[in-house]
Amino acid sequence: MTEHSLWRLSRALHRAVNERRHEELESLIDEDVDWAIYGPIDMFPFFGARRGKAAVLDVIRRIAETIRVHRFDREQVMLGTESGASMMRYSLTLLDANKPISLRLAQFAQFKAGKLISIRILVDTFDLVEQALGHPIHLPRIAS
Amino acid sequence: MMKELNKRRVIELIDAFYGGNIEGALALCSDDVDFFSNAPVDILPHLGHHRGKDDVRQMWTTVHQRYSGMRYEMPFIAAEDDRVAVQLRAFFVKRLNDRTVQFDTASFFTLRDGKIARIREIIDTFDLIQQVVEQDFISAIAARARENI
Repeated sequence: MTEHSLWRLSRALHRAVNERRHEELESLIDEDVDWAIYGPIDMFPFFGARRGKAAVLDVIRRIAETIRVHRFDREQVMLGTESGASMMRYSLTLLDANKPISLRLAQFAQFKAGKLISIRILVDTFDLVEQALGHPIHLPRIAS
Repeated sequence: MMKELNKRRVIELIDAFYGGNIEGALALCSDDVDFFSNAPVDILPHLGHHRGKDDVRQMWTTVHQRYSGMRYEMPFIAAEDDRVAVQLRAFFVKRLNDRTVQFDTASFFTLRDGKIARIREIIDTFDLIQQVVEQDFISAIAARARENI
């Protein structure tokens, strides 16, 4: 039984981020891939949308320069024929500040002929920003 | 077969909720339905942790009290066994000033005996909060953060 593309991608992504080894990842990404991580790009420049393999590999290099993954747990995974969705919990370190971060995210990936053609990653960004800042954010009280 | 049925039930629940049919949406849930989505609940009362139909009814009613029009797009849906995952792009119109809040959400549903028993959501909460409070406070925070991280 062939391994699902999501598992291959997940393994290659972690190898690229933690070991800065990109060969396997390169072979799993479509030339015209549509990539987006939702979040505040002012604070985390590697968030946002990218189009094409070169742009995606570049942003993964930026992520690798910024974080190290220590542990991840898949809370939920759903695999389709050429798609996959997962909800994950990560333990990371922000390398510049040597700051530990615990993060929840969801990813929705679509594949064609085993290659990633689209991915959307949603992150609980308010929690992420508070952890990165190291203190709670005081919000204005509103009633809208 | 069961997978398709579960997908249909989740879409029915989403349609009912967005259409304002809260009782219709609740009818698709188990009595002990468990909802969880991280966020500051004073700003986003429709998030947080809610358990049981009464609690979820109250939460959904609060949302509909605050927002008049609601619609969604569903770019992604996947199902496996008793679980369904959807990515939604939601559009909520504030009753206060008719401005539209637009946000993406990842929602993961677990079904039990044909009913939705568990809902877990992840949202780009920072963007959503900025739209709700109508303030771009990330720029200032980001500037301070870049100095500290």
